[in-house]
Amino acid sequence: MDAGLLEQMLLGALLGLSVYLPLRCGQLSLATPGFFAIGGTVAALLSTRVPALAGSGSTYPITSVLLEMALAALLTGVLALGLGRVVLRLRGIYLAIATIALVEILRVVTLNLEFTGGALGIFGIPQPFNSAAGYAAFTLALLALICWLCDRLEKTRPGRAMAAIRDDELAAASQGINTADTKLLAFVLSALVAGITGVVAAHFLNSWNAKLGNFDASITTLAFVVFGGSRTWLGPVFGGLLLTALPELLRPVGDLRLIVFGAVILVGPLFFPQGVITPELFKWFKPRIGGITTAAAQGVKQ
Amino acid sequence: MNLLQLEGVGVRFGGLQALQAVDLEVKQGEIFGLLGPNGAGKTTLFNVISGLTAPSSGTVRWRGASLAGLSSHRIARLGIARTFQNLRLFSSMSCLENVLVGMHQHARQPPLAALLQTQSFRRRESQLQQEALALLDLFQLEATAHQDAASLSYGDRRRLEMARALASRPQLLLLDEPAAGMNPSEKDQLRELIRRIRDQFKLTVLIIEHHVPLMLGLCDRLAVLNFGQRIALGSPDQVRRDPAVIEAYLGGGT
Repeated sequence: MDAGLLEQMLLGALLGLSVYLPLRCGQLSLATPGFFAIGGTVAALLSTRVPALAGSGSTYPITSVLLEMALAALLTGVLALGLGRVVLRLRGIYLAIATIALVEILRVVTLNLEFTGGALGIFGIPQPFNSAAGYAAFTLALLALICWLCDRLEKTRPGRAMAAIRDDELAAASQGINTADTKLLAFVLSALVAGITGVVAAHFLNSWNAKLGNFDASITTLAFVVFGGSRTWLGPVFGGLLLTALPELLRPVGDLRLIVFGAVILVGPLFFPQGVITPELFKWFKPRIGGITTAAAQGVKQ
Repeated sequence: MNLLQLEGVGVRFGGLQALQAVDLEVKQGEIFGLLGPNGAGKTTLFNVISGLTAPSSGTVRWRGASLAGLSSHRIARLGIARTFQNLRLFSSMSCLENVLVGMHQHARQPPLAALLQTQSFRRRESQLQQEALALLDLFQLEATAHQDAASLSYGDRRRLEMARALASRPQLLLLDEPAAGMNPSEKDQLRELIRRIRDQFKLTVLIIEHHVPLMLGLCDRLAVLNFGQRIALGSPDQVRRDPAVIEAYLGGGT
């Protein structure tokens, strides 16, 4: 497989996780592309305007990328903390609308500001890797780290509190869970993931403009989670990988590809209303895989 | 001192006076019953105590301090736990996880230890699991520990709500119609169970229930509400003979 496509798939998986985090807490936030755009803009500005970051070698130093990621995380985190306090008072579809508005405001601001390059955007973002494979390896490591963090979150107290809020917010509050703070935590984590993903994407794409964080992206990233499932972190990763790859893999069918892509997104929730990856799926698989391995072990003994 | 004290509590929903100047004192260790016809305001009273509904007038005091303005999670942390009349379990979680969520306030661990799964983290986590299983055991739910809460029978769900409420180690337990949907033998068991948990966990219990014989046999004291007002208060015997109660339940003479 083409490493460039793999890189896009991995970025898709990261964005899926960003949408998933608030959704696991029952909050339908579509702000992910907004924070993604902020991360990308931070990376584009810093790497093209700050000569000190460029280093002396032929490629852009990874340490500078990491520094950009830290700054993007700081910026998106602080912004999410402030905005979350306000918008998370809204529920359900109203929260979704407010976060769409946020994404659109950011897009229009980026489009009209002088220093973000207006409609043209910022070009010539320096490359820390010489090949797409280098990007893919770096992003895979990042994805693995975030998956691990999500896994730990799900299995510990704050993760249980988030799932409780999704099931019944009022009952969760009656168990002593600070629902406002827990929802805010999920929203901030979502922003952090989107922000650092934006940094990687900006370097990979080589240029950055306002179109990269728009309403279309909100819906595409939401589809990753709806398709993959929002009960465990594996769902959005699966959805992000597959739905990013699909339009490319369908290229041979020509103009039909978007129709087929649309049908897949439609059929997914129809047959898997909880998403493709659910905890029930694990329950179904576990005894079977366990059975196979014990059978294999016995076979070896004999 | 009274554990819980209501002073002139009133709740108005638009044109409807759901509660009107209700005075009530609940003493440490007693099982206190709330009786009354449908729509008398019993659940509204629970909602006021647990912080889900703000009273329009009057004060609720917990160990002498006013609960005014406290959100429901703060009130829960003070040691007031409740069950819900219309069952509000976390339906996508297993019974065990439901009880673990109930332990939320005692389950805090350092984030770094949780990330790295240190030995002390794992020890504490398994300790919490044992505690949760013991609670399920108390309510005869141990066999369903790993089943989804949504798959339980109605009576089992009621018991799981009680187990979850107890998991927060409350001092006051509010039970909203715990016997609803249970058969007569389950109701008898429930009476014994409520007594047992009161003694074992040194609880004070405030209970709403429609089943009058159960209430007369279980409660130390009872209050009767009708149309948002307290119309009677006293021991089961006193309440049974109270003319206002007889009128509320059977209707007045012509």
